[in-house]
Amino acid sequence: MEQFFQQLTNGLAVGGIYALIALGYTMVYGVMKLINFAHGDLFTWGGYLGLTLLTSFLLQDRLGVLAGVGVLALMVMGLVGLMGVLLERAAYRPLREAPRLSAVVSALGASIFLQNALMLLYGAQFQVYPDGILPQGSVDVFGLRIPVVRILVLLASLVMMAVLYLFVQKTKIGTAIRAAAIDQGAARLMGIDVNRVVSIVFLIGPALGGSAGLLVGLYYGQVNFTMGWVYGMKAFTAAILGGIGNIPGAMVGGLLLGVVEALGAAYLSIAWKDAIAFCVLILILIVRPTGLLGERVAEKV
Amino acid sequence: MKCRRLSLSKENRMKTRMGLAMALCLLAGGPARAADTIKIGLMAPLTGSWASEGQEMKKNVELLAKEQNAKGGVLGKKIEVVTEDDGGDPRTASLAAQRLTTKGVVAVIGTYGSAVTEATQNIYDEAGIIQVANGSTAVRLTEKGLKYFFRTCPRDDEQGKVGAAAVQKMGARRIALLHDNSAYSKGLADEIDAILKAKRANVVFFDALTPKEQDYSAILTKLKAAKPDVVFFTGYYPEAGLLLKQKKQMGWNVPFIGGDAINNPDLVKIAGKDAAAGFEFLSPPVPADLDTPEAKAYLADYKRTYGGAPASIYGVLAGDGFRVVVKAIEGGKSTKADAIRNYLVNGLKNFPGFTGKISFNQKGDRVGELYRVYVVDKAGNFVMKK
Repeated sequence: MEQFFQQLTNGLAVGGIYALIALGYTMVYGVMKLINFAHGDLFTWGGYLGLTLLTSFLLQDRLGVLAGVGVLALMVMGLVGLMGVLLERAAYRPLREAPRLSAVVSALGASIFLQNALMLLYGAQFQVYPDGILPQGSVDVFGLRIPVVRILVLLASLVMMAVLYLFVQKTKIGTAIRAAAIDQGAARLMGIDVNRVVSIVFLIGPALGGSAGLLVGLYYGQVNFTMGWVYGMKAFTAAILGGIGNIPGAMVGGLLLGVVEALGAAYLSIAWKDAIAFCVLILILIVRPTGLLGERVAEKV
Repeated sequence: MKCRRLSLSKENRMKTRMGLAMALCLLAGGPARAADTIKIGLMAPLTGSWASEGQEMKKNVELLAKEQNAKGGVLGKKIEVVTEDDGGDPRTASLAAQRLTTKGVVAVIGTYGSAVTEATQNIYDEAGIIQVANGSTAVRLTEKGLKYFFRTCPRDDEQGKVGAAAVQKMGARRIALLHDNSAYSKGLADEIDAILKAKRANVVFFDALTPKEQDYSAILTKLKAAKPDVVFFTGYYPEAGLLLKQKKQMGWNVPFIGGDAINNPDLVKIAGKDAAAGFEFLSPPVPADLDTPEAKAYLADYKRTYGGAPASIYGVLAGDGFRVVVKAIEGGKSTKADAIRNYLVNGLKNFPGFTGKISFNQKGDRVGELYRVYVVDKAGNFVMKK
C-alpha cells in the first residue's frame, strides 16, 4: 500500500508537468483547430532560457529563493509567450486560410527550426542547472517520504492551472477566447477581434509550456535540446485523453497520464510503461471518442 | 570572348596546350607526393548524437599522427589521416566506408557504435583493409571470422564477467539489474544476469527504463520495493546521473554500480557531487591512471595541444588503434593487410598502450583483463579502485 501511494505522488508530479504543457496544445487547438507541433520545443526553450536567466542574473541570491524563482518564472513565461506570438505571426497566420495540412507542415518545420536553433546556440551537450536552488530534503506525509521539490512542482502547476481556468471562465478576454473557440465567424460578427484572441492564446499557451520547461530544469536539474519531443508527445496524448480543446480536460488528462504511467511501471513492467499508457488512451478513446471531458462537436475533422 | 577563343592561331593553341600540360604536371605533383605518404583512415561520428565521442577520436588520432610524423613517419613515409564522418548511423557509415576504400587507405580506425561498425565490417574486409574499432563492444563483431577486423575496446562478455565479479565482491545478496533496452545495455545486463544465475546469486530485479526521460522516480520506487543490496545499471551516463540524483532525493542509500558507458564527466554534473559520490563503474583504465612513461608523455602532450585531459576513453582507444597499426606497419615492414594482420596477431605482444597492455588473439580481440573498477569520490573525480 505504501508503494501505491508513493507511486501515486510520483505520477502526480510528472502528470502536473504534462498537464501544464497539454494546456498549450489544447488552447491552441480549441481556438484554431491546429496542433501546434512546435509547442514541445517552446517548452524546451523555457528550460534553456530559465537556465540562462538564472545564471546571468542570480535572482535567487538577490531576492531570496521564492521571490527569485517567482520573478524568474515570470521572465521565462514572458519570453516564451513572446516567442509563441512571433511563431504564430511568422508560421501560422500566413496560412490561416490555407488547407489545414499546410499549417501542420508549417508547425513541424517550426519545431525542427526551434530545436536546431537551440542546439546551435547552446551546443548538443546536456545543460545542467546549478545545484540546490530549490529546497532539498523530503517530508514525511503519513509515512511517505516525499521530496519537497516534488510538492512544490505539483503546487506550482496546480496554481497556474487554476489561474488559467479562472482567467478563461471569469474575464472578458477569457469569454472572447471561448467565443472564438466555438465559432470564429460568429465571434467576429459579435465584435471580437479574432486575431487578437489568437495572439493571446499563443501568448498564454507557450508561456505555460515555458514555465513547465523551467520547472523541469529546476526539478530534474538538467535540460537537453531534444527533451521537447518526449514531453510534447506525452502532453499531446494527455490533451487528447482529456478531450482536446477542453481546458479542464487537459489538466485531468495530464495528471491521469502521469499516474497511469507510474502505476503501470509499478505493477506491470517498467519497460512497458509507455505501451501501458497508450493502451489506456486507446481504451478511453474507444469508450469516449472525444476524450474524458470533451464535448460532442457536430463538426468533425 | 567566345569569338576570340575560336580564332586562336595555331601558335597560340600550341602555347595553350603546353600550358595545360605544365598545369597537369603541377597538379600531378600533388598526387605523386601523396603516393609517398601512408594513408590511414579514421571513421568517426563527427556529427549526430555521439558527435562528442567522434570529435574526441579525431583529436587523439590527429595528435598521434602529428607526433609520429615529427619522428619521421613510418617506413620513411609521412602518415596522412583521412577522416570520414559516419554520423553515428549505419547507413551513413556504409557510405563513409565505401569512400574510404576508394581513397587508398591501408587501415581504418573506428568506429564507436557496434551497430555502426557492423554495417562497415564487410566493406573493409572485402576491400582488404584492416579495421580497428575503438568503441564497438558487441560480442558478435569478432565472432564472424573476419580476417582484417580488430578492436581496442574489450567485449561485452568480458565486461559482464568483471561486472558480475564486482557485484559479488561487494557481498551483495540481493542484486537488481536495470538496463535501457538498447542493444549494448540489454546485452550487458543479460551477460551479468546469466553469470550471476549460474553462480546461484539472487537477482531480485531485472527490467528496463526508457532512456531520454527525466523522471525515474517510478522506477526507483519499484526498485526500492525489491529491496536490493546493490543495483547494477548497464545504461548510459545521462540516465545514470538522473537515477543517482533522484535516488538521493528519495533518501534511499543503496549502492549503484554501472558499466563502461558511464565514463563521462557529465555524470557528476547531472547527478550533483553529493549524489554521485560512492557510485562505482567499470571502465578500461584512462591514461591518467597508467604509470607507463608513454602514457604520461602523451597525456602531457594532449593537455598542451587541447588544453585539457582526454574527455572520453573511446577517443584514447582510437588513439591506441592508430598506434598499433603504425607499430604493425613498422614491425612487418609492409602496408599490406595480410602483413599487418600477421604482425598484430603474432608479432605484437604486450604493446604499451595508453589503455593498458595490448595483444590481440586470432579473432582480433584484445587479450587480458582490461576492465578496472572506478569510483566517484566526494569531489566528483573518477578514481580507480586498486
